[in-house]
Amino acid sequence: MANLNKLTITEAGKKLAAGEITSVQLVDACLAEIEKRNPSLNAYLEVFADVREQAQKADARRAAGESHPLLGIPLAVKDNILIEGRRAGAASKILENYVASYDATVIKKLKDAGAVFIGRTNMDEFAHGSSTENSAYGPTKNPHDESRVPGGSSGGSAAAVAAHMALGALGTDTGGSVREPASFCGVVGLKPTYGAVSRSGLIAMGSSLDQAGPLARTVEDAELIFNAIRGNDPLDSTSIENKGPTLAQGSQGRTLKIGVPRKLLEKGIDADVLQQFEKSLDTLRAKGYEVVDIELPLAGLALAVYYVIMPAEVSANLARFDGVRYGLSLKGESLIDDYAKTRGDGFGAEVRRRIMLGTYVLSSGYYDAYYGKATAARAQLAREVAGVLENVCLIATPTTTTPAAKLGEKTDDPLAMYLMDIFTVTANLTGNPAISVPMGTVTREGKELPAGLQLTAAHGDEQSLFVAGKLLQ
Amino acid sequence: MISREEVLQLALLARLKLDDKEVAGLQKDISGILEYVGQISAVQPQGETFLSDSKDSPFGSRNVMREDSPRADGDTMAGKEEALRTAFPKKENNYNVVRKIIQKDE
Repeated sequence: MANLNKLTITEAGKKLAAGEITSVQLVDACLAEIEKRNPSLNAYLEVFADVREQAQKADARRAAGESHPLLGIPLAVKDNILIEGRRAGAASKILENYVASYDATVIKKLKDAGAVFIGRTNMDEFAHGSSTENSAYGPTKNPHDESRVPGGSSGGSAAAVAAHMALGALGTDTGGSVREPASFCGVVGLKPTYGAVSRSGLIAMGSSLDQAGPLARTVEDAELIFNAIRGNDPLDSTSIENKGPTLAQGSQGRTLKIGVPRKLLEKGIDADVLQQFEKSLDTLRAKGYEVVDIELPLAGLALAVYYVIMPAEVSANLARFDGVRYGLSLKGESLIDDYAKTRGDGFGAEVRRRIMLGTYVLSSGYYDAYYGKATAARAQLAREVAGVLENVCLIATPTTTTPAAKLGEKTDDPLAMYLMDIFTVTANLTGNPAISVPMGTVTREGKELPAGLQLTAAHGDEQSLFVAGKLLQ
Repeated sequence: MISREEVLQLALLARLKLDDKEVAGLQKDISGILEYVGQISAVQPQGETFLSDSKDSPFGSRNVMREDSPRADGDTMAGKEEALRTAFPKKENNYNVVRKIIQKDE
């Protein structure tokens, strides 16, 4: 059966439940597409050899009476999420042949639901990047225009979903790494409330910022995956039960007001991206939302705050990669030289850059001026956003200022690359949930390139994101 | 611009071996990035810092320490010893072989 890989998870789930199709057929359709497109897109680093077997097991579970919206659904998994017995490398040479010894909690939950894992997807090394060009295994291409980046760091996952090589995918988002590639690839990407999804089994980047999140073709599909992976986890003490909006946020009455930080949109955004943004706001107005102007005075500094806090946490989290217990292990002339050589060789340039930056802002003499100040600014920003969300239920901006850049366009200028995160980092700093939903396309050199609308809600209020997101489809 | 010595000192702290070209490149990159993030010095925070457990924190910080006793659902790493050993870069008799650290009798 052709084109089964073009079904949404929701549609596929119905057909599976009705016995019209099998998981094996779904998987075969995805594998056929992978054979056609992955050689040029490089979305998957590895397609698991036992995919069909996994699908057969799912079909057997269904025959035995089990049912779940994700039972038998083929998903792609980012290379920084551990699946026991399978390779996981965060697209880095330092973890080249590392085999995971346990399941990430999100994986365990998806296994319980019966999902099928097609393979591990390409990413910026250790999730350091916004274009998937920092992978040690070559970049992934944007399925809409193969001369362009898919975004990052979950570029492989976004491309896999956009090119119908999976029905959905898992990514991780530390500064926008699910939402930005979703925007560039024309799919839905959700960063849950911090703590809503367990981080146990994710290769950590910034522990106060990271969240695993779904990429899918529709908001309904993203919601299905989110509901399967969410929940308090004793293995992650930062995880929360996340039953809904916290009382203090005041959005329980769902005020249907959307706030737009107009000052932040005054410059730096492509005119046609802004046009699509306004059109989407019109759609939401027509569906009953009121759109008001809001002020987020500190949001302009969010990127600076992020690029102090994130490298600091990175420098701590990546200290474990020293060649002692796992991974690349090179011998130098002394113990310190062993470490320095292993890490110097095993890590790519951007990873080394961020570790160095983090080491600087945490070092004695600079700690208070940079990390101390950034942490205080972060708390202030969080209070600001919380204040705004007492009067509106959603904050709306474009996800990115431009559509996808060309491959190689920003690789010479780290700061230019960092600026791609300008609208996405706030939600990671404050812990608020945020979603990117496609808002049409813009034309560049004759090609139609997707653009995304970002909505941010109060802590625990993913519901408001889903409600509004569905209205934009 | 951050000095070459400072970059080398950071590289030592970070346990990273860098060649001269990269050191020069990092002097430039780090200086540029620090200039950008330096904007945060203008922020005048008006409350507690993020990780405080003040009651008016919007995140309702709470103490998640538990009793130091085995969890009801058991040890999630039970039975994983072989997988952990497989990952050792150098093995001998089920031990991870590492460099000798203590060199003299002190």
